Amino acid sequence: MSFVSVEHLQKSYSGTPIFSDINCSIAKGEFVTLLGPSGCGKSTLLRCIAGLTPVDGGKILLDGQDIVPLSPQKRGIGMVFQSYALFPNMTVEQNVAFGLRMQKVSSDDSNKRVAEVLQLVELNDFAKRYPHQLSGGQCQRVALARSLVTRPRLLLLDEPLSALDARIRKHLREQIRTIQRELGLTTIFVTHDQEEALVMSDRIFLMNKGHIVQSGNAQTLYAAPVDAFAAGFIGNYNLLDPDTASRLLQRPISSRIAIRPETVGLSLQGELDGVILNHSLLGNVIRYRVEVRGVQLIVDVLNRAPGDLYADGQRVALTIDSSTLCEVA
Amino acid sequence: MSRAESGSPGIYHRSVVWLLFLILLLPLLGTLVYSIASSWSATILPSGFTLKWYSQLWSDPRFLAAFGQSLLVCVAALVLSVILILPLLFVVHYHFPRLDALMNILILLPFAVPPVVSSVGLLQLYGSGPLQMVGTPWILIGCYFTVALPFMYRAITNNLQAINLRDLMDAAQLLGASTWQAAFLVVLPNLRKGLMVALLLSFSFLFGEFVFANILVGTRYETLQVFLNNMRNSSGHFTSALVISYFLFVLVLTWVATFLNKDKSQ
Amino acid sequence: MSRGKWLALLCLVPFAVFFIVFQIAPLVWVLIHSVQSEESGWGMANFIKIFNSKFYLQAIQHSLEISFWSSLFGIVIAILGSYSLRKVDSRLRNFVNAFANMTSNFSGVPLAFAFIILLGFNGSITIMLKQAGIIEDFNLYSKTGLIILYTYFQIPLGVLLLYPAFDAVREDWRESASLLGASSWQFWRHIGLPVLTPALLGTFVILLANALGAYATVYALTTGNFNVLPIRIAAMVSGDISLDPNMASALAVILVGLMTLVTLVHQWLLKRSYHVAR
Repeated sequence: MSFVSVEHLQKSYSGTPIFSDINCSIAKGEFVTLLGPSGCGKSTLLRCIAGLTPVDGGKILLDGQDIVPLSPQKRGIGMVFQSYALFPNMTVEQNVAFGLRMQKVSSDDSNKRVAEVLQLVELNDFAKRYPHQLSGGQCQRVALARSLVTRPRLLLLDEPLSALDARIRKHLREQIRTIQRELGLTTIFVTHDQEEALVMSDRIFLMNKGHIVQSGNAQTLYAAPVDAFAAGFIGNYNLLDPDTASRLLQRPISSRIAIRPETVGLSLQGELDGVILNHSLLGNVIRYRVEVRGVQLIVDVLNRAPGDLYADGQRVALTIDSSTLCEVA
Repeated sequence: MSRAESGSPGIYHRSVVWLLFLILLLPLLGTLVYSIASSWSATILPSGFTLKWYSQLWSDPRFLAAFGQSLLVCVAALVLSVILILPLLFVVHYHFPRLDALMNILILLPFAVPPVVSSVGLLQLYGSGPLQMVGTPWILIGCYFTVALPFMYRAITNNLQAINLRDLMDAAQLLGASTWQAAFLVVLPNLRKGLMVALLLSFSFLFGEFVFANILVGTRYETLQVFLNNMRNSSGHFTSALVISYFLFVLVLTWVATFLNKDKSQ
Repeated sequence: MSRGKWLALLCLVPFAVFFIVFQIAPLVWVLIHSVQSEESGWGMANFIKIFNSKFYLQAIQHSLEISFWSSLFGIVIAILGSYSLRKVDSRLRNFVNAFANMTSNFSGVPLAFAFIILLGFNGSITIMLKQAGIIEDFNLYSKTGLIILYTYFQIPLGVLLLYPAFDAVREDWRESASLLGASSWQFWRHIGLPVLTPALLGTFVILLANALGAYATVYALTTGNFNVLPIRIAAMVSGDISLDPNMASALAVILVGLMTLVTLVHQWLLKRSYHVAR
């Protein structure tokens, strides 16, 4: 039994369709990610669920109830924006208490709940500060606290980490996931960052041009992309058209093939001869560009010891495990 | 904005905007109708229409002289402003960025000290003595420079910030240009459009300046606004034609300025 | 300091000279002469005379009343107008915005003449309203008339200043508030208005200063016969009656003082409100 289910949802802006038939369902307590390039409709879908953008047709069921006719005020949905959207005239405490104030929660109860949720995001020392006195990461934690305090049925996160720098981003995504698990909160997270999606989600909906291209857990999406777009968006797949693939593997192949760079083995001897064109150091991984039978492949090798490095121009042998090859549409 | 698109709120906002437009339009419309009415007194609508007031106006030598003198004074004041303000802006933003704070206080003075107040001092200081200027266009040119200053300074500052003066100068100098070459060949061309807009808008409000012109110079070098005021006892139709001609002129200027402005943002 | 910097400073000299001659020097002259009088030399004689004269006090009172009411009406209309401007389609918005821009130059003498045509004793609106029985009589050359006239030239300025201010109220705040359960009205009460307050106060102060210093409109309308501060000041330096530049200076100092006071109150109010970074 799904907790959230989106059925035949349609939306267009002044004649241009954003999406025409979106269907998906989410279980209670699940953390799902809408992943896709900018303009794929993921943020619009999120805003439709929140009620900030009216839909043209279809249903959105939340706990069995169609929420499309409800105003955002009545949906019981919490949302965190990329731009934080903190009210600048209120302190951290007042910002967090705002939703409770709108629900006319008594001030004793409200104070207690605000303190609890600030504890949860580790910001109790900042209760009296104004938003402009906080860093970006702190602002986003306040925004998170503000949307948690009203105990929403569903939490929406619209690229909440995109405006932050890398280190804070990593820390905050762990914090978000921990809190979400602790509260058992059904959450939809929107991002264009594949790494974020893979690390955080129970399930990922990969979107492109207004369609859900593929859905599944991180492992499925990474190991078995359904089409060229999925393969191109996740990981650094080598994408070969049928002709090139046939030439490389020396057998007739009728579909496009995706080869993950870390599944190709490099050694000094073997039947598949190639030449190292160049390499770049990505930290724990060395990425080689190798030419083999007139095809250029990217090959990732774990960076174990400096002595293992192959020089540019060196002849090498490749091993391609046919079980890791992936046919894509 | 998406939720406001539909239904009754749309109608409310549209009617407010139209009402605002009508309120702003009404005095102009009244003047326009009056200027083409053959006669109009003690009735709601005029009795007939004619263009004779315009032909009378545009063949009046005193009007043409006032128009020319206004043009001359405004153009001269703006040339002076550019000569004085451009180097100032460049020096402030390139060499002494801290002076910008001081300048922002100084340019408040023309706002905080109304022309009537300045006139009191100007009349006494330059009415006689070594700097005798009262009654000549020279004093107007100087005063109009102070009137245009705050606006020009702000407008060009915004422009300078938008083009990132320091990086442009550094890049030009690394490519071998001297400070002068960099300023003239790189910075100035990039400011041209912003400068044009600032000049056109300044011109349109200087052209309507009355206080300095009336108190300091009066009929000794009659500008358009002073002429208009002095014509108060002649036919109202004649002055209306004058008002409309003046407004059309300013309208064209502001229109060109908006057009340039829009072009720049695209 | 390097030679380049000295040269750069040299570029500032012409500007400084002109600014001093046409802006600073007249102001200093006024300040000095406000505390001098023909009869009693240095001292506060001018100010004492002003504050004991019903005539001068009336001028100050008229100036304040007209400025206050016209700024209030002007800002209310500008708030309603610029808020609605943001809500209509862009073609209408751009058109009315550009028109407001142009009419901001329509003030002073031409505006006074236009109002005489519409609202003078024989103005077409006056006659229309009289015939409709809404008013008995209307005197444009009175305080009420001047308040209407001033309000008119405050509106475009108000719209010009306030329209961008509404940018400060971001759409995602409204969305956030609505998800947290706030109605549109609650949003404006708790977030929108508090955020806009500094801009509203600032605009009100600018309108007030604009009206306090206005001379051309009232001069053209009443040929200098209505008793407000700028008219009094000008009359004593360029009028046909008794000239008294020292007295004019004292009145001018009061006018500038009023404007400074308004600005200081504004600054104080701003400091009491919170600060928006950005």
